[in-house]
Amino acid sequence: MATLELVDLAKRFSKKVWGVRKMDLDVNEKEFIVLLGPSGCGKTTTMRMVAGLEEVTRGTIHLDGKDITDIPPRDRGISMVFQNYAIWPHMTVFDNIAFSLKLKKMPKAEIRQRVQETADMVKIGELLKRLPGQLSGGQQQRVALARALAVKPKLFLMDEPLSNLDAKLRVVMRTELKAIHQQTEATSIFVTHDQSEAMSMADRIVIMKDGEIIQIGTPDDVYFRSANMFVAGFIGTPPTNFFNIRCSVDGEEISLKHSNFKLVLPLKDFSELDAYNGKELVVGVRPEDIAVDSSDKALFTNKVLVVEPQGSHQVVALKLNDAIVKTIVSADQSVKPGDSIGFNFNLKRLHFFNMETENRIKTASEI
Amino acid sequence: MRITKPQLSLSRDNRKKMVPYLLIAPVIIYYTIFWLFPVLNAIVESFRDVDGIWTLGNYIYIFKDPVFYTALFDTAFLVIFSVTIEFVLAFGLALLINTKFKGSSIFLFLAMIPMALPAVAVGAMWSSGLATRGWLNSFLMHAGIIDDASKILFLAGGEMSRLWLIIIIDAWTVIPFVMIILLAGLQGIGADVREAGYIFGGTKFQVLRKITIPMLKPTITTAMILRIISAIQIWLIIVMLFGFNRLPTLLEQIVLNYDELGAASFERIGLALSVIVAIIVSATAILYLKVSGSFEKKKEQEVE
Ligand SMILES: Nc1ncnc2c1ncn2[C@@H]1O[C@H](COP(=O)(O)OP(=O)(O)OP(=O)(O)O)[C@@H](O)[C@H]1O
Ligand SMILES: [Mg+2]
Repeated sequence: MATLELVDLAKRFSKKVWGVRKMDLDVNEKEFIVLLGPSGCGKTTTMRMVAGLEEVTRGTIHLDGKDITDIPPRDRGISMVFQNYAIWPHMTVFDNIAFSLKLKKMPKAEIRQRVQETADMVKIGELLKRLPGQLSGGQQQRVALARALAVKPKLFLMDEPLSNLDAKLRVVMRTELKAIHQQTEATSIFVTHDQSEAMSMADRIVIMKDGEIIQIGTPDDVYFRSANMFVAGFIGTPPTNFFNIRCSVDGEEISLKHSNFKLVLPLKDFSELDAYNGKELVVGVRPEDIAVDSSDKALFTNKVLVVEPQGSHQVVALKLNDAIVKTIVSADQSVKPGDSIGFNFNLKRLHFFNMETENRIKTASEI
Repeated sequence: MRITKPQLSLSRDNRKKMVPYLLIAPVIIYYTIFWLFPVLNAIVESFRDVDGIWTLGNYIYIFKDPVFYTALFDTAFLVIFSVTIEFVLAFGLALLINTKFKGSSIFLFLAMIPMALPAVAVGAMWSSGLATRGWLNSFLMHAGIIDDASKILFLAGGEMSRLWLIIIIDAWTVIPFVMIILLAGLQGIGADVREAGYIFGGTKFQVLRKITIPMLKPTITTAMILRIISAIQIWLIIVMLFGFNRLPTLLEQIVLNYDELGAASFERIGLALSVIVAIIVSATAILYLKVSGSFEKKKEQEVE
């Protein structure tokens, strides 16, 4: 249980290559933070700096208020699960988990007890005498987890710990990790580029791009109140659909004109758009907020391009001008490619973005 | 007439099984002709005298000869000290280069130069360097460290100083070789297991001792065996620096008896010596494998 503060943290590998450009982040006690972002955005570099494996170029790291920027990894009270486990192949599972405890000169009986306890927690209590080479990938993963938990760290770092597991095991481990976190209450930072993993596990998600933080927020924040077009496009499968529209204010109404449709909204709910009168902006609509509407109130009617059944629902893709628009339709509706279907937007869930800055335009209608 | 297929050829299964044997057959034939026959011949001949009569005389001669025991001692001394020193230094260098500091690849290249020199060239270089008027003395004189009167007589020292001179030269030649093998092993280990060691409380030294070295053990064993075997066989540099019989070693004695002394009776002494050396080499290698292997068993028991 600890707090972590990253202040103006940066890592430059060479003249042109920045691992992290600027990170400012406060992690609260017991919090489960997920770093999420595309490949190469600096997630691993951030973790390595916090762990002390990488020297920082600029900035400071405080753990529980103490500056740990320049102290060696072993004195930080941090433990880490590596992406490819990095468990020691020449040591038994027991020795892998006991390594740090032995170095701390913990009494033998106590070590034995702690190792058994942690191993049971991650369900490898029976495997203590085995060598890692005799374990499956999932079991090795659990050894790495147990090794990291046995220390009872102040801060628990996990760099894509589930990425080498198959899809099914990944979902199981996700739940287990969350349960372990609730039990141990260790402040945790978890790296992933799987957004459903991020959404389901995080107290707060930190979205990164090109070595910088784009948005910090709860899963609801980043999903329903995406800070900019990058986040809106990155979070959610399929991602948010974007439409370029021209905005004009007409008395008590505001109308948004797209080449295929025209939205008319009450100005009182969207007064922030007043400033864009006569200008262009981008409206983002998530796939589940585009609904089939067979009445004559449909916003637009279009031919279906592709249907992708997903079991619980189906993803329907349309071609609107040159852009592909994806919507989510319930499984019981029969939709076939080539069908002409009417659609409508959920007007409570529209996202507006400034065309130049790509930043969100907040509106009063936001939930 | 019609020949059915099964009559003509072996079954598919049997043919498949034969493939590996067919592939290694040339190697086996080669070894039989150029290696096994000569070896067997040498063993047989070492038990006969010049007239072809069976005898243990060659071996008795050797075991009665005090030079043999000097050679045995010198060889053992060379093996123990040169291999230890070479290994420690080479491992240190390999660890250093593996940190990939700036200029490490240039350093690696420079370090490899001695490896590229043939043994004769190494001998020539050092014997001209260590002579009283050699380049080492003249360098020291130019540097003002010694004057004309106090030239160092490198090659004129007693047996111990001669041994140490050989050890130093051998180390100089061989360290790059050992270093490359260890470096290749180190690079195969990957940084993350060491980094995990640091995170889970290890100091540099603890990580080296508990993670890097145990994981490098197969490589270390290979390098050590190769080095021990070739250190037992050291002779050319000794002869080039000091001449025969000044610093007897096992192989030097073989060459001396077999090639240099001329008489047919000495040739057979040389053969008998070869057999003894072959036994010593194999025994040492097996002993080393046993010792390094048994450590592993102990460790496993500790866990139980
Ligand atoms: N040791 C290094 N030397 C030079 N550049 C590096 C080094 N490590 C990382 N980088 C660069 O820093 C940037 C950030 O890398 P990082 O590994 O932190 O990305 P990541 O977000 O973890 O990506 P992924 O999701 O693929 O793991 C990348 O552009 C990468 O090429
Ligand atoms: Mg990474």
